[in-house]
Amino acid sequence: MAKFAAGDFVRVSGRGFEYTGTVMPSQDENITILKLENGYNVGIVTKRIKKPHIIKRAKQSTPVLSKVKSKSGLPKITIITTGGTITSRVDYKTGATHSLTKPEELIANIPELTKLANIKIISPFSQWSEDLTPQDFQRIADTAAVELNKGASGVIVTQGTDTLHFTSAALSFMIKDLSKPIAVVGGQRSSDRGSFDGAQNLICAVHYCLSHIAEVAIVMHANTDDDYCYALRGTKVRKMHSSRRDAFRPINCLPLAKIDPKKGVEILAKNYNKRTDKTVKADTQLEPKVVLIKFFPGLKSDIINYYIDKGYKGIILEGTGFGNIATDTWIPTLENASKHAIICMTTQTLYGTTNNHVYSAGVREEKAGVIHCNDTLPETAYMKLMHLLGTNKNLNEVRKQMTQNLVGEINTRIEKNSFLY
Amino acid sequence: MDYPKLGFKCGLEVHGQLDVGKLFCECEGRLRKDKPHFTVNRKLRAMAGESGYIDAAAAHAQAKGLRYVYEGYNDTTCLVELDEEPPHTVNKEALDAALTIATILHCDIADYVQVMRKTIVDGTNVSGFQRTSMIATNGYIEVGGDKISIIFVGLEEDAARRTAEDKETVTYRLDRLGIPLVEIATGPDIKTPEQAKAVALAIGMLIRATGKAMRGIGTIRQDVNVSIKNHPRIELKGFQDLKSMPETIKREVKRQQEVLYKKEKLESHVRNAKPDFTSKYLRPMPGSARMYPETDLTLIPISRDKRADIEKRLPELPDVKFNRLLKAGLNDVLASQVLFDDQFAYLHKKFKKLDPKLIATTLLSTQKEARKKADQDEGNFQQEHFEEIFKLLQDGKISKEAVLDMLVEVAKGETVASAAKKFKLMSDVELKKEIAKLKKKFAKVPENKLKGIVIGNLRGKADIQKIMKFL
Repeated sequence: MAKFAAGDFVRVSGRGFEYTGTVMPSQDENITILKLENGYNVGIVTKRIKKPHIIKRAKQSTPVLSKVKSKSGLPKITIITTGGTITSRVDYKTGATHSLTKPEELIANIPELTKLANIKIISPFSQWSEDLTPQDFQRIADTAAVELNKGASGVIVTQGTDTLHFTSAALSFMIKDLSKPIAVVGGQRSSDRGSFDGAQNLICAVHYCLSHIAEVAIVMHANTDDDYCYALRGTKVRKMHSSRRDAFRPINCLPLAKIDPKKGVEILAKNYNKRTDKTVKADTQLEPKVVLIKFFPGLKSDIINYYIDKGYKGIILEGTGFGNIATDTWIPTLENASKHAIICMTTQTLYGTTNNHVYSAGVREEKAGVIHCNDTLPETAYMKLMHLLGTNKNLNEVRKQMTQNLVGEINTRIEKNSFLY
Repeated sequence: MDYPKLGFKCGLEVHGQLDVGKLFCECEGRLRKDKPHFTVNRKLRAMAGESGYIDAAAAHAQAKGLRYVYEGYNDTTCLVELDEEPPHTVNKEALDAALTIATILHCDIADYVQVMRKTIVDGTNVSGFQRTSMIATNGYIEVGGDKISIIFVGLEEDAARRTAEDKETVTYRLDRLGIPLVEIATGPDIKTPEQAKAVALAIGMLIRATGKAMRGIGTIRQDVNVSIKNHPRIELKGFQDLKSMPETIKREVKRQQEVLYKKEKLESHVRNAKPDFTSKYLRPMPGSARMYPETDLTLIPISRDKRADIEKRLPELPDVKFNRLLKAGLNDVLASQVLFDDQFAYLHKKFKKLDPKLIATTLLSTQKEARKKADQDEGNFQQEHFEEIFKLLQDGKISKEAVLDMLVEVAKGETVASAAKKFKLMSDVELKKEIAKLKKKFAKVPENKLKGIVIGNLRGKADIQKIMKFL
């Protein structure tokens, strides 16, 4: 069989077919994919090709992009890109997806950004959001802090949406004395299509970065319409749908702000941190030996011993309802485990708060040393515990802080209309 | 007109909707007139592609701030149409229908079909692209002794349909979006305007022969590409019926001749066919749309087994079937009326002893008459009703004449079993007894009138010939 390279213009024939077209990249060498002159791709079983003929070898082409010029008088905003749908680009010739690395490429797709601010783009790394490690969260936080202290009006962090709320929670805890806005943004639709949602999200994120709110927030579509976005507090937000534009919802609270891509920010929250001139500090040490475990009927408490034996320092449990587990079998294990690690309880209902008084189980958990995190979301509690264990050697202090509100992660009162908002 | 001398070139693109649900989700493919349950507001962006190029039409719409309103229904629109969920795997029935057509058209079928995204930014597709795929190439169809090349058989999604428009918004209904369309394109081999109609008809029949075609006006759409020597290609679309096609093409040829004669500016463009056989400028010929792979779907393998299976299950071709129906005793009109009638095909196969003419007329006209007699607008006839009645008829339990009366009763809400009691055929003994009774009752009536009275009274309860015999 002939060896073709992607981009070669070829004619191939065999029993019952003859095609002329450009060779496309194929993930399976047994399948040859050609883009025909009518624009369609066709897959051919490679070994069926009897007469291969290369008409013209591939030519390398580089995209031409206009340079982005900075305009005087516009505020500065830094976008930290880390990969994901929002900063991916489809090569229309081959169908392959690439990650955008140059600011010009992002600006070419969303020229509105340059009208609002002078955009600087930093790409410390590019990977899928589920591949992020504690070191990656640290790099993002460090970079954001440097950029804010260098005079950026705000920082936008873009990444794949699946773990966006982990990143927003991590940044909320790691950046101390936050005096400016940080927007965490993603896209649920790919950037090749006219219906790309990330463009509106980014435009709204720029508006957020120019606002008075000095908090970490996820800025994404408020609903399925392309009308406006919400800024959602970084510690009280979660991806609640695998594919919808409005997948990110506030949990146990209401949005910080509504952002119209044309009109800008309308602040909805009564209490929020306001912009100041203070220097921000990144306190980015994270304890990697922290685990998040979801309890379900039938789950054996052995799983706890497994992690304790592995030297884990913190365990976040997602209990049922008020934060319950199978008391009789679990309490003795937890009692022992809490001597070696910090054990925290959250609720898998996500909405509502844990309670260790309503049922005797809760009372026994408390006695066993399990700390209830009230309405802290499980993912937020996970990042919080990593952060506290990483930055604080005093374990009693860590235990205490897990029950205290540091950056908006714990509500003392939950409003009625925040449910399924 | 001497078409070869004019350098007449003509080819067709035929699109047929398939009645198999939507192509990439499990929604019903039904066009609706009732009030939509919800609307969604969207915008489409002009996305820069290779070399920073931005689609001019999309950039224009974006600059205007055009918004698209999509109307949907809770029960027949899902997240896939709303561009809120990736496409599901391709509808198997639709793929089979396209493969069936490609096989009948002697095409080279792709080993692997790759679904493509064709960039469309006028709002007719919520995503900003249409999902389309090439199933096969390089086939032919024989029409009136001529071989017409088939250059393309494809399977794609139909677009949303426009329901309203103002300066800032265009409203589309999502009921049509995602309905499978099989696309068949011929080469520019058509020799005359009349032949264009014949080829369109033949391809249309072929789509219907799969048994998966949607019925009704607008379910099969034809675009005609036509040009004469020195004139660029013109696409004619929007034919209301095939009858108008030859005359419209003839007039287009004349128009092209005039344009050439007057030395007017030549431009390849699309024209809308009007009912009076003229056509009107619609838009410039679109450039080749940006097409790239649908990354949310994997390649669709068309295995050897699949091809063999399709070949084994090929439907009877329309002309073969037509001749078979003629042979079975139907006339031209009835045969063409029931050619693609699944109900007829089923009942004809099941009740071989019954006259197919009777089955055809029962389905085509008798049931309508019965509804009228019963004063029922809505038909409540089920397949089972016809089956039960034909069974009684085949078993000699009722007469042919009773079919209408039975249907009237059923239309009124009776069961076939209870209606059958009224119209059951009498035994010879019963019949003789009844005739004697009537003769006695109408003893004074003259013989020729008596015949009518007896037949009138016993109609549907006995075979007329038999009544005459016993009279």
